[in-house]
Amino acid sequence: MSRTISIEPVTRIEGHARITLQLADTGEVEEAKFHLTQFRGFEKFCEGRPYREMPALTARTCGICPVSHLLASNKACDDLLAVTIPPTAEKLRRIMNLAQLLQSHALSFFHLSSPDLLLGWDSDPAKRNIFGVMAQDPQLAKNGIRLRQIGQAIIETLGGKKIHPTWVVPGGVNEPLTEDKRAAMLAMIPEGLRIAKDTFACFKTLVPKFKDEAERFGTMPTMFLSLVTPKGNLEHYDGLLRVKDAQGRLIEDMVPPRDYQRVIGEAVEDFSYMKFPYYRPLGYPKGIYRVGPLARLNNANACGTPYADVALAEFHTLQEDSGPVTSSFHYHYARLVEIIFALEMMERLLKDPDILNSRVRARARGNRNEGIGVSEAPRGTLMHQYKIDDHGLITWVDLIIATGHNNLAMNRSIKQVADAYVDGNNLQEGMLNRVEAVIRCYDPCLSCASHAFGQMPLVIELRDAAGQVVDRLARG
Amino acid sequence: MRALVIGYGSPIRGDDAIGPWVADRLADMGLPDDVEVQARHILTAELVEDLHRAQCVVFIDAAADIMPGELRVLPLAPDAGVMSTMAHFHDPRELLAWCEALYGRAPEAWLVTAGGAQWGYGHFQLSGPARAAVEPMIAEVLSLIGLDALASEPLRISPMLDGA
Repeated sequence: MSRTISIEPVTRIEGHARITLQLADTGEVEEAKFHLTQFRGFEKFCEGRPYREMPALTARTCGICPVSHLLASNKACDDLLAVTIPPTAEKLRRIMNLAQLLQSHALSFFHLSSPDLLLGWDSDPAKRNIFGVMAQDPQLAKNGIRLRQIGQAIIETLGGKKIHPTWVVPGGVNEPLTEDKRAAMLAMIPEGLRIAKDTFACFKTLVPKFKDEAERFGTMPTMFLSLVTPKGNLEHYDGLLRVKDAQGRLIEDMVPPRDYQRVIGEAVEDFSYMKFPYYRPLGYPKGIYRVGPLARLNNANACGTPYADVALAEFHTLQEDSGPVTSSFHYHYARLVEIIFALEMMERLLKDPDILNSRVRARARGNRNEGIGVSEAPRGTLMHQYKIDDHGLITWVDLIIATGHNNLAMNRSIKQVADAYVDGNNLQEGMLNRVEAVIRCYDPCLSCASHAFGQMPLVIELRDAAGQVVDRLARG
Repeated sequence: MRALVIGYGSPIRGDDAIGPWVADRLADMGLPDDVEVQARHILTAELVEDLHRAQCVVFIDAAADIMPGELRVLPLAPDAGVMSTMAHFHDPRELLAWCEALYGRAPEAWLVTAGGAQWGYGHFQLSGPARAAVEPMIAEVLSLIGLDALASEPLRISPMLDGA
């Protein structure tokens, strides 16, 4: 008799989702699905709005990563204006993007995943949360808060607001940086870098403890997609698309973002509101790839900053052969490397004398009827594409959200973890937590990917083929 | 810091904007240096550092469980039991509990809410009842932080209210 286990919602991620595991008579997992359960439909309700509203509108997609949408949207609007923004404006936007990456990665590592990493997958679920972390290692929790605070403070210093700054505008930014603001931001970097290096050093000592998880948490051959610089280095704001396969061979390289539709197709499934992007030349679902910190580090020839390059070299030793790091468990490791990079690169950009240049905005009216903006959000490559009529009103929108790129990989990962850990005849909380935890590796932002909002309790139900509940766990 | 005032809510969901809107008005009033005012979309983890530095905190929010325009003032205590399952948004009592757990004390805290009437996406204006609640809300917050005398000063009217 086949049965279905439903995990809803998945906890300690951003947004709402359900996992279902279809079990065979033997109790083995036959099928695993990751469902996005709510829908907001930004792509539809933006139609008819003036394109200049798009940055502010799409930034409201998310309370955690609004800056990512703000930047991708403004880049799409730059494209509609057909302008090249002033170099100083680009540097300032880069700083804001890196500050966003810093605060988001800090939240993922310190607050969402550290309960598993510090307290253990099978620890008491009543204590396996941020309060358990505070009790066991209060300094770790304080460090997480401080890194988030630094990221948010830099966003606020640049943009005037922490959550939805309006400083980035089509054509650049709306005011230049002042010396006192530069000094204030630079003053925060050393402390952030010290925390980041200490955390990285500490986490490296923990990694051997997670050998089992590293082998089973989304450890699979997929392609990796990200932006890279023209030299093939780590890139978060602009650059060109690169796709590597699981053996490290370049499948696509130096693809202009404007051509992304040649590389990426989008499929839909009836069990989720999240789209399923795939590598178009291989078709769906064979064209599975991953994005985000793991993909960016796998694709980059180098980071381009001193300590992050040392950390990148250490990252590559996680894989026994010389190929890309294939375990999704190592997203955590990659996130810490990127935190170091973000701090080093922000310092470099802030020390650039040109950063105080007053020319920060190109002004134009709409000169194209289609615009594409691509950047790297904390969770992966983010794409905004707009079409407008001759009056500047939006007629069509496509948003390919970072989390969505990982949809196929997340589904395959939960199947792998379920195969390894789930005993359908004896449902255990620790099993449930591991299935959730592999999703946390990707740090999905489902509010972005589904445009959902709200909060759900957690219920896991074991049902028989007739739909009768035969076992149940509830949380929240 | 003697007092921290945090107004929170979404600026594109009608009356949910009343928290940040009132916070912005308070910030425009030229409050003493030992009072900090923040307007936020949501309450997130790094706020704990600010709470820790404050002697008292006033949160300002909209409410859906009271009559539109009705004002409610509640004292808040730390409560780890209201823990969020994600990190997009934290209940103020959860952040106070973080503060207590990490720093050994939580500030004295209140939640001032006004009942809202409409919450739809893409609504950039306050409803009539919410608009009517703005001035009493400001007076209540000023009273809680010991600045009653400022409550009688005329309010600056924003374009948002004019146009509503």
